[in-house]
Amino acid sequence: MRPATTNVKTLKIDGRDLSGRQEETILEVARQNGIFIPRLCEMEGLTDVGACRMCLVEIKGQNRLLPACVTAVEEGMEVTTDSERLQNYRRMILELLFTERNHVCSVCVSNGHCEMQMLAQRLGITHVHFPYRYPKEEVDASHDRFVIDHNRCILCTRCVRVCDEIEGAHTWDITGRGIDAQVITDLNEPWGSSETCTGCGKCVHVCPTGALFEKGRSVAEMLKRRQFLPYLTMMREENE
Amino acid sequence: MITLTSLPLAEADQEFLDKVIAQRGGRPGALLGILGKAQDHQPRKFLPRETLEYIAAKTDTPLARIFSVVTFYALFNLEPQGKNTICICRGTACHTRGSRELLESLMFKLGFHDPDDEMADKISLNTNDGKYTIRTVACFGQCALAPVVEVNHEVYGHMNEQTLQRELEHLGRETAKK
Repeated sequence: MRPATTNVKTLKIDGRDLSGRQEETILEVARQNGIFIPRLCEMEGLTDVGACRMCLVEIKGQNRLLPACVTAVEEGMEVTTDSERLQNYRRMILELLFTERNHVCSVCVSNGHCEMQMLAQRLGITHVHFPYRYPKEEVDASHDRFVIDHNRCILCTRCVRVCDEIEGAHTWDITGRGIDAQVITDLNEPWGSSETCTGCGKCVHVCPTGALFEKGRSVAEMLKRRQFLPYLTMMREENE
Repeated sequence: MITLTSLPLAEADQEFLDKVIAQRGGRPGALLGILGKAQDHQPRKFLPRETLEYIAAKTDTPLARIFSVVTFYALFNLEPQGKNTICICRGTACHTRGSRELLESLMFKLGFHDPDDEMADKISLNTNDGKYTIRTVACFGQCALAPVVEVNHEVYGHMNEQTLQRELEHLGRETAKK
């Protein structure tokens, strides 16, 4: 039960008069009202980290852009979720993500179901303006049922958060810093020999790209079932 | 790919870790201090796999979290460190005064020939005989003394290949004595 004295804030998003509770973020209010704000790291049911910067929005009276996923709504806020400036920023972020590892849609299990691909298509990205890095990343297929292909990982840390917060196993984490950063299982061991992994597959289904997938899936065959997360959160809240 | 070094945990070390964890455990941010103490306690100044696993079990910290922390901070070592640590400054002032040449000649003398290593931003190399560790840092804050080299935590300024060579010979004699 929420406290009776919920503080309601009214604000404008893309010219529409909307309202939200004071603890809600711009992204949540926008989502409830069918306004699309692109994002890669945010996911309903997980804590927000504000890492991908795709959800940056303009707020009237503020020169800098703010990430919608970690910015709480305020009274009288006027938010713009789509403008040329924002599109340029988002396009650059995506282009840099594409150049950082080896994202080859035509051979990817998530082709057609990939969040990054979908956002790139929405923004009309046909090519990138930066040189590709072509790093030699590893593919770990030691797990019975799942594979991690670091070539397709964008380090959104959704897998890390879902494993820690929802499954409670904390098998995943990030090692290193900057360009050397990588997701790892336990003490950087092969996923298959991880003692903490429960094999639940939650990480696979929250992964926005084809970095985590089920074995035996071929190109474009990896459909991710994201519905489990809001459902699980709802059921747990009801049981409390 | 970073690999961990295996070194069984002696009973005395376990007692030491238990004490450190009892002192610091439970508080947020305690992990850094515990890991730091554990590394200082190790004669070769590194964190072996068994130590990490023991700390994880005792502090109820996920293994992945521990690995994440020890690879994020440069102060943690996962390999046994050499008896002598030579740290070459690669800051701008030292660079213009020839720290690259110093580093290259030192690496060559200690038997490292991988050009990839020379190009790396951050170097931490151990010789196979366990005598030396070469590191680079971004700046010691002693730019007036450029190029600066730190040998076993003592800062030496205005270094050149001859003085570094002399220092190296001195270290070699000292290490042989012990």
